[in-house]
Amino acid sequence: MLAAMGMTSMDDLFSDIPEHVRRDAPLDLPEPQSEEEILREARMLLDMNIPVDSRPSFLGAGLYSNYVPTMVPMLATRGEFLTAYTPYQPEVSQGMLQAMWEFQTMVSELVGLPVSNVSMYDASTSAAEALTCAVRIHDRKASQKSTIYVSELIPPHRMSVIHNYTQGAEIVVKTIPHDADGMLDLSVAAAAEGACAVYVEQPNALGLLDEGLCDLKSIVGENTALIVGVQPVSLGLVSPPGDYGADIVVGEGQPFGIGPTAGGPIYGLFACSQAYIRQMPGRIVGQSMDSEGERAFTLTLSTREQHIRRHKATSNICSNETLIALMGAMHMALLGPEGLETLARRNAGACAATKAALLDIDGVEAVHPNGTHFNEFAIRLPRPSADLLTFLDDEYDITGGLDLSQWWPGRENELLVCATDQIAAEDIEDLVEGVQDWLEGYE
Amino acid sequence: MSDLFAFNGAKGAGYAQPAPLSDDFTIPSALQRSAAARWPRASEPEIVRHYTWLSTRSHGIDSGFYPLGSCTMKHNPRVNERIVQMSGMNDLHALAPVSHLQGLMAIFHEMQEMLEHCAGMDKVTLQPVAGAHGEFTAMRCIQEYHRDIGQDNRDKVIVPDSAHGTNPASAAMCGYQIIEIPSLENGRLDLDALRAVVGEDTAAMMVTNPSTLGIFEPEIAEAAEIVHAAGGQMYYDGANFNAILGKTNPGLMGFDAVHYNLHKTFSQPHGGGGPGAGPIGVKSHLADYLPAPLVVASVDGEGEPWFDWYNPSKSIGKVQQWHGNSGATVRAWAFYRRYGRELEKMSEHAVLNANYLRHRIMNPSDDVRAGIHAMPIDGAPTDIVKHEFTLNMSPIKDATGVTGKDVAKRLLDYGYMAPTLYFPMIVPECLMLEPTETESKEAIDQFADDFLQILAEDPELVKTAPHDTPVKRVDEVWAARNLILRHPLDEE
Repeated sequence: MLAAMGMTSMDDLFSDIPEHVRRDAPLDLPEPQSEEEILREARMLLDMNIPVDSRPSFLGAGLYSNYVPTMVPMLATRGEFLTAYTPYQPEVSQGMLQAMWEFQTMVSELVGLPVSNVSMYDASTSAAEALTCAVRIHDRKASQKSTIYVSELIPPHRMSVIHNYTQGAEIVVKTIPHDADGMLDLSVAAAAEGACAVYVEQPNALGLLDEGLCDLKSIVGENTALIVGVQPVSLGLVSPPGDYGADIVVGEGQPFGIGPTAGGPIYGLFACSQAYIRQMPGRIVGQSMDSEGERAFTLTLSTREQHIRRHKATSNICSNETLIALMGAMHMALLGPEGLETLARRNAGACAATKAALLDIDGVEAVHPNGTHFNEFAIRLPRPSADLLTFLDDEYDITGGLDLSQWWPGRENELLVCATDQIAAEDIEDLVEGVQDWLEGYE
Repeated sequence: MSDLFAFNGAKGAGYAQPAPLSDDFTIPSALQRSAAARWPRASEPEIVRHYTWLSTRSHGIDSGFYPLGSCTMKHNPRVNERIVQMSGMNDLHALAPVSHLQGLMAIFHEMQEMLEHCAGMDKVTLQPVAGAHGEFTAMRCIQEYHRDIGQDNRDKVIVPDSAHGTNPASAAMCGYQIIEIPSLENGRLDLDALRAVVGEDTAAMMVTNPSTLGIFEPEIAEAAEIVHAAGGQMYYDGANFNAILGKTNPGLMGFDAVHYNLHKTFSQPHGGGGPGAGPIGVKSHLADYLPAPLVVASVDGEGEPWFDWYNPSKSIGKVQQWHGNSGATVRAWAFYRRYGRELEKMSEHAVLNANYLRHRIMNPSDDVRAGIHAMPIDGAPTDIVKHEFTLNMSPIKDATGVTGKDVAKRLLDYGYMAPTLYFPMIVPECLMLEPTETESKEAIDQFADDFLQILAEDPELVKTAPHDTPVKRVDEVWAARNLILRHPLDEE
């Protein structure tokens, strides 16, 4: 090949790199390995990890271990899906485009809003870009310019992402507190009227379902976007936010389609009402027709996007999480409406059974005794929860949950416990025994 | 036509689910869902057939040559997929104790160090999940650095007009004003144009090198000197890193921050739009601002390696809620281990393939040339390119009315993915081709022959292409006017 071009060595191909910026030494990296050697070393390293499916795990906090049907990874890794780029050429990408249009439809049905995009990076970037989107829509009429209100009961890491994404547009972020029962303080929420957006979660970071959010849209008014973050599995039982006035719904799609996978790649959900379409971020698939009038699909509304609008784009997002959204679509399609309800019941049931069993123990208190929970609930212990977590890990091979002081200093004795459909009755018995054993150790 | 929403016969899920542990739970009455989501009711075989059918109407690297410029569509080794489906990857919780994540953190640490070494940077974070996300993250770090040293007046970011659209979009999201500078006639950086706009309000310049025209910027170090002299930072868009690995690095060129596209250079499969992964590397003066947490290595009580998280002292916080696209990091680790110290060969073969394809297309035999309506013009006049090149298809359009887009669509009939179309915008009727290192000489020869044959075909045949694809040319304008963004279901 070199000879065909009149060259004699590979160096000729790099003669355009000036001497003063060239590397003067070879890369200092390990010897090349065979496939078998790589596989062996990967197995050795990954076997050092302790996965959540190897033991009872009550750790959720926004990332959930739900069962993913075997079919999903098998079909999604078909090479035509796995190794495709963004479907810029619709004529040879109808399969992926149709799958994403179907995904949009299922998400739309799930959350009760007419439009969904193809995916965001995760729930945190979905929430952050929902807020900047809402500011672009509402700022002109807002009496509180560039101001948004965010519930204080959202995971702090998500809040950090929101700060990074909103500071560039000089958006003022105010928080809305909660009452002793963990319900959003609606009297304070009324202050959000005239702001660009209010962001709340259902269930919130402590797993609480909040009926009061049904009144929030009428409290903040038409010109303030109501943005609701959801755990999508809960929507098998819980009202879709679109039904109580949400303008944008976001969330971690992950429980549909993929394991917790250390937090990535997963996918963020983003759905909205018609009014937000031209300011929303991300890829969108639309139905169209081909030159012979046959139904066909294509990416659409690309005039919002960075490759056309450059610095005036609604978002910089280009690569997203389509393949994981495809896995989510496959899981949703296989569940169907009744399967979804059963899955939600299994999660709600496991949570209720775990909560009842733990609260039966002397010394364990509910942080929100009047609350109704989905997946997660917080308990208060007589001693630091970090100590219990270490004890359960060392003595019972149980992952007990999240020490809430990791999120909010001052809550050292509180533990966030999560039970998904992967929790069995024996797991709850083991947990109870472990907690009792730990408490007895201090008597 | 298989319609997912036509499936309505299955009772319950398409897979057998266990019963709930307990029905003794409550949902507040005002929050009880009143109508079920109208999802399909399908059996597993129905769903398997549906998605198998859809896959036959999709085109991946596995289906055929995929010369999509700027996207580095190389083969995705399957052993990498096998690795990430292991329970020790797929079933990890990001917030688990570090004692549960030691193997993953060992891979993270090795990847941080490998990427630092390859790019000549001092510190790497794996948290950003896409190239654009990396750009945003790095610009946030630069912004905090400037605020910290009392230079928050630096509110402008310079980008060449050949830049990826994500560059200005990412900087704008941080609140920066964008200054676009024109390229020279030959597509290269115009240092005079740079000198004219650089100043004490310059926060950074964002550059892709090799540029989006596939050519190495010979004056990149001089550009860095100009920006640094004004107190600005240099940002390297790593989309084209596949061309230079082991030959040079952004650190040597004078860059302060860089993103890597693990889904390009390191073969993370792109899955029809993502996932990607966009780690960033920075020089030491920016390291304290990186997102938290990073992995640090030490030894445990028995002298064995031990890995921990640590938060940089002035961290911007989080840009993704967890640890980025860990699965992409692990795939990229497996990919790099195959080459190890010989990663340089990857770049050599990528550049060889690009130059050879360019040579084959631009130098047809006399017989072939005699049949061609018109020859394309090189997008950038240069002896050698790096991993990709551009073609200006204007002469074909002038001679026959066949546009670059028409040629792209006709390539689909031959079983190829089309090249990148009409980008960079500074090349008229642009096609951008990147064969990558994983194509054989035979595959490239065949593509070149077919490409030249299209230039000799009846223009009407090309203008009405594609002909042999699952659907004919799709009306994108109709889609944007009518906005049918979901299935109408029973309202149909």
